[in-house]
Amino acid sequence: MVEFKDVSVTYSSGVDALNRVNLKINDGDFAFVVGPSGAGKSTLIKLILKEIDATSGSVLVNGFNLKKLRRKKVPKLRRTIGVVFQDFRLIPTMTVYENIAFVLRVIDAPAKYIRSRVPYVISLVGLSKKAKSYPTELSGGEQQRVALARALVNDPQLIIADEPTGNIDPELSYEIVELLKGINECGTTILMVTHEHDLVRYFGGRIININKGSIQFDEVIGGSNEDK
Amino acid sequence: MKINSFNYLIRQGFKGIWRNKMMTFASFCILLVSLIMVGFTILISINLDKAIGNIEEKSEVMVVIKDDVSKSKMSEIEGKIKDIPNVTEVTLYSRDEAWKDMMEKMTDAQKDYFKYAEDNPLPDVFRFNIKDIKKMRETTTQIELLDGVESVQSPTEFADVLINFRRIFYIVAIAIVVALVLVSLIIISNTTRASVFARRKEINIMKYVGATNSFIRIPFFIEGMVVGLLAAGCALVITKFAYEGVYKILNDDYHLFGIFGLNNIYSFKTMFWPVTLSYLVAGAFIGAIGTSISAGKHLKV
Repeated sequence: MVEFKDVSVTYSSGVDALNRVNLKINDGDFAFVVGPSGAGKSTLIKLILKEIDATSGSVLVNGFNLKKLRRKKVPKLRRTIGVVFQDFRLIPTMTVYENIAFVLRVIDAPAKYIRSRVPYVISLVGLSKKAKSYPTELSGGEQQRVALARALVNDPQLIIADEPTGNIDPELSYEIVELLKGINECGTTILMVTHEHDLVRYFGGRIININKGSIQFDEVIGGSNEDK
Repeated sequence: MKINSFNYLIRQGFKGIWRNKMMTFASFCILLVSLIMVGFTILISINLDKAIGNIEEKSEVMVVIKDDVSKSKMSEIEGKIKDIPNVTEVTLYSRDEAWKDMMEKMTDAQKDYFKYAEDNPLPDVFRFNIKDIKKMRETTTQIELLDGVESVQSPTEFADVLINFRRIFYIVAIAIVVALVLVSLIIISNTTRASVFARRKEINIMKYVGATNSFIRIPFFIEGMVVGLLAAGCALVITKFAYEGVYKILNDDYHLFGIFGLNNIYSFKTMFWPVTLSYLVAGAFIGAIGTSISAGKHLKV
């Protein structure tokens, strides 16, 4: 669960990135976050990951009160969150398998668990045959699926997808969102930031529109895919 | 931390060495040169200290006793000298002994000259060594004040020179060691910065998936430590051969150095463990800390 109570962020440059934002995303929700560049979407994500702190107000993420969370405990928070980036951020010197297993090693998972869990998530994103390939040998869509598997592997409560379809072909974008929807159906909360209105209109669901640091619109709309 | 994670981190450390061969080699060379220089500075100081010690031991003080002092007064003076804590090995060089020695050294012509001397003109003398050369002046003055003492002859000026020389040498040696350690730390942390920079993506991802800072640092730490240990090993071999060469020259080839107390420098065998341990510890420490400094700079995600 993510909850923002009266959250404002002012950067040291004097820019007001968020202005008294109130927002609640319940467990199991799927929400699109939309808005123009500079609206405050990235600030929202940075707050959730505790890359930055709110100037005022409080942020609660997966049971952690981020205002009171000490630097040392930040890794604990981040282990409950999976992140997918627009630019994939895969490690080029590691194979698909290693890129994903790496997350489990970081959190000190037993070797036996890693050996069974990693092939499973690779199969979930449909890349079993490419487990031994390196990121550079994969297409953009495939790389994003690896990133998705990586976000998924330690079974996080929340997945944040920051423009996951921004760097891939439009037709593959639908595939990625379908995958995210599938993960959401298993109970994981998904927060997807996007610029692509076609995608949002197609899938529908909860839409949070941010502009100039405030929430302009937060409602559930029906998707055009449901009409078919 | 589980054994399996620890193994993984060690493997990552070794992989890092291989992945950044050039950087590793650069760090290795810098460490090697620094260690050898630090090692020699220390070896020279230890030996110089010994040489100064040798000279100190030879700096004898003589207490000349007045002519009219009785036997019982003499032993009283002897007791008082022996009671001074800075004094060691007090011996009496009696006027009779001195007379005998002098006569032995003289030619017959010289002896003739003394034939008609009414009495032995030489004084009784106590000879002793000083424990702490720094307190030589103080001890000398203390004895001069004793009743029955004519004069005290001690090489106080020479002692002052030695004390100053030793002090300056220590300061210079410490400054050299500190400067070299600092310079190596700076250079190594800069060389590693490039390899850390190449892995910043990896570090960044590690932070996002919830890696602790120590988890991220350990591979760099191990990488630096291994390079440090390798450099220490090579430095040890080089130092051994160089030192043994110098040892041979001073001890076997040029006995002349004996005048300055330089002929009995320590053999490498007696210095082996202290040198080995300090190389390994210094190498591992400088290598590990140097690389960790750079890794730390990229941890603030």
